[in-house]
Amino acid sequence: MQATIVTDEIRTTAAVADGDRLLIDPAALPDALGWEWKPEGLCRDNVCVPVRDRAAVLVADKLDIGAVAAALGRLAVVDAPAGIAVIALAKELRREALEERHAPAFTLPDLDGVEHDLGQWSGKKKLLVTFASW
Amino acid sequence: MLAVAIDESADDVRPWTDGITFPVLIDSEHLLSELYAMSNVPTVVWIDEDDRIVRPNGVAFGSDLFKEFTGVEAGPHNDLVRAWVRDGVEPRTTEGSDAAAIEDLSDDEVRARLHFRAAVHARRAGYTETAARHFARAGELAPHDFTIRRAMMPLVGDDPFGEKFFAFYEEWDRAGKPYNGLPGVTGDVTD
Repeated sequence: MQATIVTDEIRTTAAVADGDRLLIDPAALPDALGWEWKPEGLCRDNVCVPVRDRAAVLVADKLDIGAVAAALGRLAVVDAPAGIAVIALAKELRREALEERHAPAFTLPDLDGVEHDLGQWSGKKKLLVTFASW
Repeated sequence: MLAVAIDESADDVRPWTDGITFPVLIDSEHLLSELYAMSNVPTVVWIDEDDRIVRPNGVAFGSDLFKEFTGVEAGPHNDLVRAWVRDGVEPRTTEGSDAAAIEDLSDDEVRARLHFRAAVHARRAGYTETAARHFARAGELAPHDFTIRRAMMPLVGDDPFGEKFFAFYEEWDRAGKPYNGLPGVTGDVTD
């Protein structure tokens, strides 16, 4: 199936549903999640997170998305039959906001679909107001 | 001013932005409710030139349109904002006070957001039952969160200004009106 992997980005990737587990090819992980599966563990940029129980993550040559999220310390909701995996943002980003009082970066589209970064208004005071049609 | 609509589609938002010249972004994945620990709208955050959060998640309204319902007047917050923008006046924190501390989301509140996101994607793909299941689970995990309970209403065919909303509002009221942030500024500086 084509599964949808949702983090701060939305990616689709080929996957297999095995009961409650959503399995993908290790080679597909960087594009799906931005992390690489290596002997050192899960790596991104120059950081590697060691994975103690590799057998929980690598199942018959495929990676269990839920187990990858757990190894990265992220909460996740995996709906294997529906081919949807949603992984939480890194808790540290929220701590930045709540404890360090530094506004975490985000990128969101305007109503015309043009992407904007919070950072493009650095150097200006910002009154961030969230609202909704509901 | 930077407005972000915690909404599913630009079509839902556009009618509200007529005549607005400041940037309006759309957060259909509800990333900000997770990243900034927001549980209702409107939530206002003051961010300075160096991206420092000068005044965190607060309830504030631009007008007195809903004053009787919410108990929050627009005047005091608007005055505080003007003082900040014009003269750089930042909210004072009482020595040793935790008044301005914002509680982190619990794991259940985070999971609620994940289920909500899963539901949105399932719904977009036409998997109505899967979506309903995830919306329901999200509501169980964060029963007093407006960005979950109220936001899902239009997505499951309920009127967010109707009976279901008032039933939810009563639940929320009985639970002590929990909100992830500062209370509304009615006349005092809260931090």
